[in-house]
Amino acid sequence: MIQKKICLLGGHAVGKTSLVAQFVRKKYADTYHTTIGVKVDKKVITAGATEVSLMIWDLAGEDDFGPAEVSYLRGASGYLLVLDGTRRASLERALAVQQRAEEKNGALPFIVLVNKVDLAAEWELGDEDFSELAARGWTLHRTSAKTGEFVEAAFQALAEEMLRRP
Amino acid sequence: MDDFEELRRLLLSTEQDDLRALHGRLDDPERRAREVSSVLPQAAKLSSARNGELSRALQPVVGDSVRESIKSKPQFFIEAFHPIIGPIVRRSIAESLRGLMQSLNRSLEHTFSWQGLKWRLEAWRTGRSFAEVVLLRSLVYRVEQIFLIHRETSLLLLHVSADAKGGDDSDMIASMLSAIQDFTRDSFQVTGALENFRIGELEVWIRPGRDAYLAATIRGEAPVELRTALDETLESAHTLHGSALAAFTGDAAAFEPLRPELEACLHAQYKQTDAATARTTKAYLAVGAAAAMLVAAGLVFLRAERRWNDFLHHLSAEPGIALTNTRRGWFSASQVAGLRDPLAADPGPLARKAGIDPQRIRFDWKQYLALDATSLRRRFEQRFGVPAGAAVAVAGRALEVSGSAPYEWLETVRQGWPQIPGIDSLSERAVQVTFNPELVLARFRTAFPPPPEVTARVDGETLHLSGKAAYEWIAPVREGATRLPGIAALDDREVKVAFDPALVLQRFESRFGLPDSVNAGVADGVLTVAGEASHAWLTRVRKGATTVPGITTLNESQLVDLDQTAFTQSKSVIENAFIYFLVAKVNFATEGFAALSRLPDEIRRCQTAAKRLGGDINVEIRGSTDAVGNAAKNLELSTGRANAVQDFLVSCGLEAAMFKTVPLPVRADPAGAAKPVHEEADRRVSFHIQLQQ
Repeated sequence: MIQKKICLLGGHAVGKTSLVAQFVRKKYADTYHTTIGVKVDKKVITAGATEVSLMIWDLAGEDDFGPAEVSYLRGASGYLLVLDGTRRASLERALAVQQRAEEKNGALPFIVLVNKVDLAAEWELGDEDFSELAARGWTLHRTSAKTGEFVEAAFQALAEEMLRRP
Repeated sequence: MDDFEELRRLLLSTEQDDLRALHGRLDDPERRAREVSSVLPQAAKLSSARNGELSRALQPVVGDSVRESIKSKPQFFIEAFHPIIGPIVRRSIAESLRGLMQSLNRSLEHTFSWQGLKWRLEAWRTGRSFAEVVLLRSLVYRVEQIFLIHRETSLLLLHVSADAKGGDDSDMIASMLSAIQDFTRDSFQVTGALENFRIGELEVWIRPGRDAYLAATIRGEAPVELRTALDETLESAHTLHGSALAAFTGDAAAFEPLRPELEACLHAQYKQTDAATARTTKAYLAVGAAAAMLVAAGLVFLRAERRWNDFLHHLSAEPGIALTNTRRGWFSASQVAGLRDPLAADPGPLARKAGIDPQRIRFDWKQYLALDATSLRRRFEQRFGVPAGAAVAVAGRALEVSGSAPYEWLETVRQGWPQIPGIDSLSERAVQVTFNPELVLARFRTAFPPPPEVTARVDGETLHLSGKAAYEWIAPVREGATRLPGIAALDDREVKVAFDPALVLQRFESRFGLPDSVNAGVADGVLTVAGEASHAWLTRVRKGATTVPGITTLNESQLVDLDQTAFTQSKSVIENAFIYFLVAKVNFATEGFAALSRLPDEIRRCQTAAKRLGGDINVEIRGSTDAVGNAAKNLELSTGRANAVQDFLVSCGLEAAMFKTVPLPVRADPAGAAKPVHEEADRRVSFHIQLQQ
């Protein structure tokens, strides 16, 4: 079995911890707890013919009080960059975090998750934002940590992407 | 160009030669091997003196080589190890025993001491097992888990644990340890690494390395030497797997060979107590006590087993008991099931005799009828009992009675033995029957109720009777008394027999009949008959009358024998008849013929009467002449006249055999007569009848 470390990056309260909870434990709680530092979780999946043990580092979101600590990203094989579709600010924060991550750790495979698709009606982000991101060559997925929509597929897609890289 | 070459040759010819020689050495593998072999021992010595790097580097190669050799040439290793395998095994066993003893020591110490009680309380309070509490409390330190973690990716390379449990989340723990380090480093803005931290009773030591680091969780206070050991292990990992560590991308399988080294670091140390010898003594005492208890238990077991077997042996040998199932219960009641004859011995006392409490045995008997000799005898005895002096034996299914036995008991047995199941025959050949005189007498009285004047007693087997008794009573007694059991002889000499005349006469009549012409009477034993009776009847009466009980004498003086009378009368008629003849002739005179013609009937009558008297008659026909004529002529005449009569009678149908002709001599002249005269009365034939019996 192969182990891979992946991280979840993004602004605060975009739903990183909820995505991990949905992915690992199939659970969702409406109550919000901010993550301090990092929280590690694990799930074994099968990508192609390979069993992969994903060590999922759920990092504290970046907020007004301090930048996200991208040093945790060291040694990771990939990451999920999470935005909150209902808050435009989360896009800017994500871009900043991504930029810093790349500066510090080089280009790693990552997938952009626009979360809270269950609240699509309240979204501030629109198609032009997404096409701008797509223009950068980034892969985007709309997910919902609440309903689980596309959550598993997103992790699966990242794992397969990582395995393709040498 | 040639000049340049020449110049080079002049300037560098020596170096070029050296260089060529060096090339030659390097290009020739054989030569190089020779050269390396000359310095290899020295190099190895130097290397091992410096540090263990060479040994560690050689370890996998040597390991593979040995593994390969064992696979291809096992015999070589068998021979090589043979001399030392024994000592190794012995030592290993000794070590295990010592370990067991130490652990027993510790357990004993902790089980029976005040501290032990405290720990037990703690175990109960905290929900841990007692063993765990003992371990933790008597522990100086113990390395519980060691993690080998890849520095760059924070992924777990290898994890070892002192307990079987506690490995599930090892990879997450590894990541969190990395995260904690990153967090502290970032938080405090320092470049050094977090080396150790403590959580409750656990301390975590982190030993940093170039590509990987070790984290050890330790319970208790570990010595500094542990740090060195961990460092050496980490260093060894880098030496052996340096390249694998550098190129690690997530597959930790390559680091599995490091497991033994990591496990070697799972050190533990326990508190020592002073009383080592006391402990040993305690342990020996405990072992001794346990052994003694085992021996005692074994003895108890053996004794109980022997008793049980004895009991079963006796029980199954008991007649009328057949065991089908037995089960020895050590802590519950034992069970015995089988068939039991109702008369078989009670198994309770047998159990008690064998030393087993019958209350602890549950008997489950099905009733059956046993057919063995003892059971048959018991059944017989229960039914009939056995009188003193008698003996009963059963052979096969035949019952044999011997000795002396009362008649009444024997009689009951004769009646009842066929109803005893299992007995086919009864033999009483060897038995001597005894009689109780009173019972014999009682039986006699029942059979022949005696008149009050009669006294009866039984002496030996003789019935003595005395007194006065009617003939009618004594007669059947004489007939049947000796047929009664216990009466072999009858003595009735002292019995005066009384006869009832009417009954005597009745008996007489029933025996002889009584013609109407006869009157009979009995008085004082005298039978008087009067009247007329046939000779045949009379003859029977004369012969048998006195044999009739009650008749001692016959008085027939007043009885006329009818047949005798008839005979006498007839005889007289015939003998008084004279058949007269003519003178000097054999011709009947007229009156003579008249008389003759009456005779045949009379002779027949006479013969009939004679036959009734039991005889027959002879008739002499006597012929006679008068005195005139010569004697010869007269004899001829007499004979001729008798024959003439006989001829006539025979011609009338009478048998000639009864007749006999007799010529009578001439009657002598009466005295004084001068000359014979023709006397008519002499010219006759007369008859004489004789009764032949």
